[in-house]
Formats: sequence, C-alpha cells, structure tokens
Amino acid sequence: MKKRKLTALLTALAMTAGILSGCGAKGGESAPADKAPAKDAQPAKDDAKEESGQESASSGEAQAVTIWYYWENEGHQVTLDQLIQEYNGSQAQYEVTAKYVPFADFKKQLSIGASADELPDIAILDSPDHASYVDMGIFEDLTGRFDVSNYYEGTVNSCTVDGKLYGVPFGANCLALYYNEDMLTAAGSSVPTTWDELVETAKALTTDSVSGLAFCSVQNEEGTFNFAPWLWSTGATSYDINNENGIRALTYIQNLINEGVMSKECINWTQGDVMNQFIAGNVAMMVNGPWQIPTMQSEAPDLNWKVTLIPKDQEYASVLGGENYAVVNGGNVDGALDFLTFATSEEKVKFMMNQFGYISADKTIAESQFAQDSPYYPFVEELNYAMPRGPLAEWPSVSDALSLAFNQVITGTATPEEAAAQAQATIDSIIK
Amino acid sequence: MARLKKFFRYENVGMLFVLPAFLYMLVFVGYPIVHNIILSFQDVNAGNLVKGTRNFILFENYLELFKDSVFTSSLWNTVRFTVSCLVFQFIAGFALALFFSKPFSFAKPVRGILLVPWMIPITVTALMFKLLFATDIGIINFLLRSLHLIEKNIEWLTTPGTAMFALICANVWIGIPFNMILISTGLTTIPKELYESASIDGAGKVQTFWKITLPLLKPTIESVLILGFIYTFKVYDLVYVMTSGGPVNATHMLSTYSYKLSFEMFKYSKGSAVANVLLVILLFVGVLYIKATTEGEDA
Repeated sequence: MKKRKLTALLTALAMTAGILSGCGAKGGESAPADKAPAKDAQPAKDDAKEESGQESASSGEAQAVTIWYYWENEGHQVTLDQLIQEYNGSQAQYEVTAKYVPFADFKKQLSIGASADELPDIAILDSPDHASYVDMGIFEDLTGRFDVSNYYEGTVNSCTVDGKLYGVPFGANCLALYYNEDMLTAAGSSVPTTWDELVETAKALTTDSVSGLAFCSVQNEEGTFNFAPWLWSTGATSYDINNENGIRALTYIQNLINEGVMSKECINWTQGDVMNQFIAGNVAMMVNGPWQIPTMQSEAPDLNWKVTLIPKDQEYASVLGGENYAVVNGGNVDGALDFLTFATSEEKVKFMMNQFGYISADKTIAESQFAQDSPYYPFVEELNYAMPRGPLAEWPSVSDALSLAFNQVITGTATPEEAAAQAQATIDSIIK
Repeated sequence: MARLKKFFRYENVGMLFVLPAFLYMLVFVGYPIVHNIILSFQDVNAGNLVKGTRNFILFENYLELFKDSVFTSSLWNTVRFTVSCLVFQFIAGFALALFFSKPFSFAKPVRGILLVPWMIPITVTALMFKLLFATDIGIINFLLRSLHLIEKNIEWLTTPGTAMFALICANVWIGIPFNMILISTGLTTIPKELYESASIDGAGKVQTFWKITLPLLKPTIESVLILGFIYTFKVYDLVYVMTSGGPVNATHMLSTYSYKLSFEMFKYSKGSAVANVLLVILLFVGVLYIKATTEGEDA
C-alpha cells in the first residue's frame, strides 16, 4: 500500500512537471550560448575566454567574440554579417560571430545567461533595458574608452548610469507621424501640427473603411513607446502622470477612440501591424518609426505618403528608440572593445545606418545622412525633440504601469482620472 | 546470502526497474521544483540575480501576491477558463464520440479528420482565432452582421469580457478532439452483449445511456476530466499569442502572469511564487487523479 502511495506521488509530480518547463523554473532550461551560431565555425569558446586576459594572441589561434542581437529583419542580419566578415578579414587576433535571439526571448535569454554564466561578449540590446542589466552588474564600464561627446544626448543617457558609460549607442530612431497624402488631399485637409488640428484632420479622413489615425497601443514596452510622445508633449513626465497634464494626455487618447477616428484594435496591433494597415489603406495617418520605410517602399511602392512631426500639445515631443552596444564583463572584453572600435568608426557607422534605415546616434553623421526630400529627413528633425525612456533599472515596472493606464482608458475600463491615479500609485511604490 | 536473496524479492526488483526513471525525475523534475520553491522565498530581481546578494524573505512574496489584484484576478481567470473549457469540450466531445460509435460509412475517416484541431500547433490556432475574432476584418463579425444579428461590430478581443469568451472558444475547439478520442476508446471497451441484453429486456435508448454507457465509462470520464483540467489549467501559448493577458490584464492566467513577472519585469522570485501556486493546485488535482484511477483498479 505504501508503495502505491509513492508511485502515486511520483506520477502526480510527473504530471505537474509540464508547467515548470513552461514557466518559473530556470534550472531546467538549456543554456543558450551552447548552441553554436549558425554562421561560422567557432573556435573553442572557453579557451578564448581564458586567454582574453593576456595582451597578445600571437599563438595564431583567433579568440572568439560572440554577439547577440535581435533583429529579425533579413536585411539587418545580412548587413551585420557583412560588417563582421569585414572585421574578421581585417585582423587575425579575434574571430567575431553573431547569434540571433528573437526579441521576445531576448530579455529572458540574457537573464538566464546571467545566472548560468553563459553570456555573449557583446549584446546589442534595446536601449530602455540597458539600465536594468547595468544594475544586474553584467556590463563593463566603458567610461573614457569611447568618444560619445558628439552623440545625441538622449542616446548617451540611455546607456549612462550614475555618470558612468556602460554602452555605445548603435543607432537612433524615434517616432513621427506618417500620413497618406492622397487621402489628405482628397479630404482637403492640411498637415496637422497641433493636437486639435490632428483630431480635426483625423475626423475628415475617417470613413466607413478607413480610420483616421492609428498607433500601436499594446500593453507592453512597445505600447509605452508609442504613448510616450503624447504624454511628454503635455509637459508631464513618465514618473509624474497624476496631474492636469498627464490626465490631459489620457483624455486625448480617450477622445480619439470615442470620436471613432482611431480603432480600439490598436491595443492588439504591433507597430508592424499598424504599418500593414497603413499600406493597405485602412489607416490614413499613423505614428511609427523610420525602420518601417524600407518595407513600405518595397511592399507598397505606389503609395503616396509623407512623414511629419507628431502634432504637439504644449511642445513637440517624441520618444527615442534604438539599440546600444554593451560589453559583457568577464567575457572577452579586449576582443569586444577592439570590434566596437572598428564598428563605431565613422565609415562603418555610415555604412550600417544607411543599410539599416537607421539614423546615426552621432549628430554630425545624422545631419548629413539624408537629403531634405528623403522620407528619413523628418525623423532627423524629430530626433531633436526625442527623449529616452528611463534610464532606470525599474523602468520595466514603470512602463507596465503606464501601459496599463492607457489600455484602461482605450478599453473604457477606467476614466483618465482613475487610470492616472492608479498608475501614479504604482509608480510611486516603485520609485521611493 | 540470505539477506541478498531477501533483498531481491519480487517487489524490490521492481523498485530497481523504477530506479532509472526515478533518477531522471529527480534531476529534471525534482531539482527545478525545489529550486523554484527556494527562489520563491527569496527576493531575487534584476539587481541581485548575478551579484548573489539575495535574501530569504520567507512568505513575503506570497503575501504580496495575494494583495496584488492582477494575481487574484489571474487565479480566478484560470479557474473560470478551465471550468468553462472543460464543460463545453467534454459535452461536445462526448456527443461526437457517441455519434461516431455508430457504424455508418466514413465514420472512422471523419473521426480521424476531426483530430486535426488537436494536432495543429497551438500558436497557429491562436493566430487563426485572433483573425477570426478581429473587429473590423474578422469573419465572425462579418457573419453576424450578414445575418443581421448585430448592427455594430463586436470588439471581441479588445473588451475584457468577450476576450475571455474568445479564448474559451479557441481552447474548446482544440479540446474537443482530445475528449472525443478518449471517450471513443472508452466506448469500445463496453461489451456489445450488454446493449443486446438490455434491448431484449426492453430498455430504451435513454435508459441504456444512463444505466449502461455512463456507469461503465466512469473511469474513462474521470481520466478525461482530470487530464483535461491539468492540460487546460496550465494554458500559456494560446493566451500569450491571442491576447498576451490583455486587454487591461483581463485575460492573464497564472502561467502568463508568472512569465510576465519573471521575464518582462525581472521580478524572478515573485514570478516563481506564482508558478508555485500553479504547482500546488495541479499537484492536488494530480493526487485526486491517482486516487480515482487506483480505486478503479481495486474495484
């Protein structure tokens, strides 16, 4: 009888085991770095790590330097590979390989990697997460090793914690307003520059089958990214929303929904979905980033669209996005620094940015990067008004509170006043 | 010698055969569970994951969770979701199993085709239902409008109440074949003679169902329901793809909330505490299952 109980308990454990592989447990997950990158034959990583402390690698064996990135765009991947090949061909000391980690898994893999000591040497990560990982203590202090004085202030701030530089901005992007010029002309409207004009224009453009305006409002970091320009334009900050300004921003969004000029579906649309609706002609104006331009040009070459600044309430505002390079401490730091010095040279930055459809984080390069009539040009102008999210180790929690607030307002489950008060209470409990 | 002989008695040899599986479970099931339980009593977050300065804070994570309205609502959502799914997929699966137990032509191939929903990857199903339930372009709204049942499009996935309904629909669709096939198998174990003698004794269809089919299927039904419960209670991928727990956290399940806490907000200990709540509930149901099945053997 006792044995039966034992068997019973074991079976019960086995049946419940499934959930643990799905969530919570980190012990059972396979370490990501072990899966060799697909691109190149990779020399033994451990050897390389041991050697990394020594000054020279005259032994002839190239030391491995690994990079993790999350760009799913094939063009981006090919470009990064080109840069790496060029670097590997230019010297014999280091051999760089890159590994793609899907964006949805990127944070998870870095966290697991950090606790399992299986990290890359360089991570190219989303700028608002930078501070969290600095707090985790996995990034090398790069203060004084790179000249970032000419970079946009916001991009440098995103990788600076307590006055120390923990990364190098890869590229910058921000959000701006796209509009379908044919629809605008047909409706006899002009390009909106203020919030009031935007509502009026959106109303004029809305028909049975077309929404006047759309922007991604998913309840996550992507949604917060798209909400930030509206919030900041009122003069409110990300940490101070329960006031006249913050409530005005939420009320404005609520009004867009209530007037029927923006679809509630936006809470399920990623930025890519929004772009697809725009080029399908279901949306007349959208807020989106410059990285959509190459896709839009190839998918809808006949669509007549333009880009302008996001209309303002009190002041123009946009949100800074983009990736930063970070060097992981404890890995092949020398190799990583050597590669970064190569990759951040003016010539290489220009090459990468143009191929990516990104704007350089370096002001001088950015300003001469595009011609006046280029669709990218308004983004360079918008960049002057773009501010970073955070940097704050607890940014993911703040972001969660903000995205809950505008989702409550959009779905009508709370009034702007209630949503702002609730978000403020959460934010106050995070930032003591 | 005698001791050795005694050791190799029938039952003990049996234990030796169980040993490899036991060791496997110890490493791949036991360790993560223990690790997870320890983690849930600590205060691990982004700041001290690597630095190793984690403190034991005992039940504080759990106490905080029960004050967290998103946690309590996701617990309630998981229960609501599981029970609704079980009821509908069980009834529909049972009806289909009875239907296909009749000997008509094509009964077997059609039953085979009905298994397809269960074999499709859940992510695909989830994307499909996401499109079906889309407000402006979804076919469900289109049909309802064409039939003049609704005037305005229903915002299925963007309204808290209906989003849960859409999730349940999708999961029932996946769950029906699972229920159908297990009950079909159960039906084949009932001897035909019982039905024949019942009809000779003048029992009607309804009477045969309640007096023969149902009682003899009891062990099967218990297994189907409890396995279905476990399978449904730990739902993750379907919810993650269709709603990601939204709108406004209205469809967060324990699993999705645990993931969100751990890997989006870096609150590892809290996330593992949620996973442990899930574990305790499923462990309880698992023990019930063992009890039910072993009692059946004793009888």
